[in-house]
Amino acid sequence: MTDGVPAIATFGLGKRYAGSDKYAVKNLNLNIMPGEVYGFLGPNGAGKSTTIRLLMNFIQPTEGHAIIKNQNVVTDSVEIKRDIGYLAGEVTIYPKMTGRQFLDYMQALQPPKRKGFVHELAKTFQVDLSQKIGALSKGNRQKIAVLQAFAAEPEVLILDEPTASLDPLMQEAFFELIHLSRIRGATIFFSSHNLAEVQKICDRVGFIRNGKLIAQQSIADLSTQATQTYSVSFAEMVPLVDLRRIPKAKVIAHSSHHAVIQMRGDLRPLFMILTRHKVTSLERREDSLEEEFLRFYKGGKP
Amino acid sequence: MIAVIKWTLWQRRWSTLWWAIGIAAFIFLSLSFYASFRDQAAQLNQVLDRLPAAARSLFTGNADFLSPQGFLSARVYYLMLPLLLSFLAIGLGSSLISREEETGTLELLLARPISRTRLLAAKALAGLIITVTVSLTSLVSTLVICKLVKLEIPLGGIVVTTLTCTVLALVFGALAFAMSALGRSARLASVGLSVIVALGGYIISSLAGAVKWLEWPAKFFPYHYYRPTETLAGVYVWRDSLLLLGVTAILLIIAWQGFSKRDLNG
Repeated sequence: MTDGVPAIATFGLGKRYAGSDKYAVKNLNLNIMPGEVYGFLGPNGAGKSTTIRLLMNFIQPTEGHAIIKNQNVVTDSVEIKRDIGYLAGEVTIYPKMTGRQFLDYMQALQPPKRKGFVHELAKTFQVDLSQKIGALSKGNRQKIAVLQAFAAEPEVLILDEPTASLDPLMQEAFFELIHLSRIRGATIFFSSHNLAEVQKICDRVGFIRNGKLIAQQSIADLSTQATQTYSVSFAEMVPLVDLRRIPKAKVIAHSSHHAVIQMRGDLRPLFMILTRHKVTSLERREDSLEEEFLRFYKGGKP
Repeated sequence: MIAVIKWTLWQRRWSTLWWAIGIAAFIFLSLSFYASFRDQAAQLNQVLDRLPAAARSLFTGNADFLSPQGFLSARVYYLMLPLLLSFLAIGLGSSLISREEETGTLELLLARPISRTRLLAAKALAGLIITVTVSLTSLVSTLVICKLVKLEIPLGGIVVTTLTCTVLALVFGALAFAMSALGRSARLASVGLSVIVALGGYIISSLAGAVKWLEWPAKFFPYHYYRPTETLAGVYVWRDSLLLLGVTAILLIIAWQGFSKRDLNG
């Protein structure tokens, strides 16, 4: 990433809700550069939403502070929001307005850079803006929520588990939208509990657990070093000797016709062996995010 | 800010219309039998005289029920209109901010470059516009029906009484607004307290006409500063309404202070 002033930065940011002695977020230090797509990963309740709500000034920090584009998120909140797009995974929108009325309302509050842009977007996402939002399906409502966040072509996008209720096809359109925003230089802060999703679109990823940032890594490192687990069934006996010879791979379980292999980096050696045998099934196992991430973390930084 | 007012009014357009129709209908029904009432006035007077003073004051305060002012006050301005307008204002005050907060749409607004102060002001103004619209409907309805049934009261008296009645309702609306803007207390609590202050004030202030020791506590309720029967007769104390407006302003400042820095419920 380039040197210079970070687009988003937090300094010892902490939040303890009133009436609770537990920190929802503690001593959080983030540095996100302009143009960077940053994935903020963690299980539910880890503090992702709290962090985002702090950045959006929906809640007040109890410790530390945060800046966006060199302005304090609390004192300069209004100024900052001229150029921010915000999207939450579960959004309620005024059910009695049509999509068009709602977008008009939002654009009256945050004037867009290009007037027709939001309608182009609506076409891409195939949303019917003439229907009442309350009459739309959940997926279509979420599309309108996506539109409102991107409509003003903001320089900073803050997205809180945005893909949670998009169907797979629309997720692709959404990733494309993020890609286009990145090309035009937007900084994107993206929370998720799905590592695969983050790997696909982010430059860098931070992992938060119990309110604390426990690791940060660039995706380039992550994808070459992340461990993956494959479960393979063979028609004949498992070629155990060959499998054990694969560099950076480990057979963690096997029976006569079945093997579970864990490996990192280049997958070619595994598949070269598999092509020589009769394979009846091949399955990539979804490890829990935390397992996967922590394994990477241990592996990546010896 | 204009956009927030505009769309808030748009969202409330049907309920405002129903309130206006309801209040107009209520006023027509309440006043339409004035002609026959006037003819039987003497008999009614006897009935009223037999009621205990406390019961009588709940209907009209201390006024003569049989004068045109007494009739209009008893039928509309003493209890029902302030009650209806107060319920309208309380309903608005308790929901304008907090319903958006409950459903999460408040975040969509505050993610835009609008300060909480401006948002709160826009919501308060929208509430004011709706309340005034409904109270203007009540004023026009009253003037029309008074003309029709030949209920002869000076125009000024009716206008000023409607105005003071609106100011009274605004106090309760502002109370509900302030409580819901503070956020910690739920919406139900803001409705509950406002209704208690409104109704309790009405009962205590009314009874204070007959029960001497209630005069002192009555001073703490807004209703004490609303005197429709006297106002209709042309006796009007500006100080009373100024006091109520002052209380409204203080409540709005509390709402502003409470809302501008607190955590949104999410």
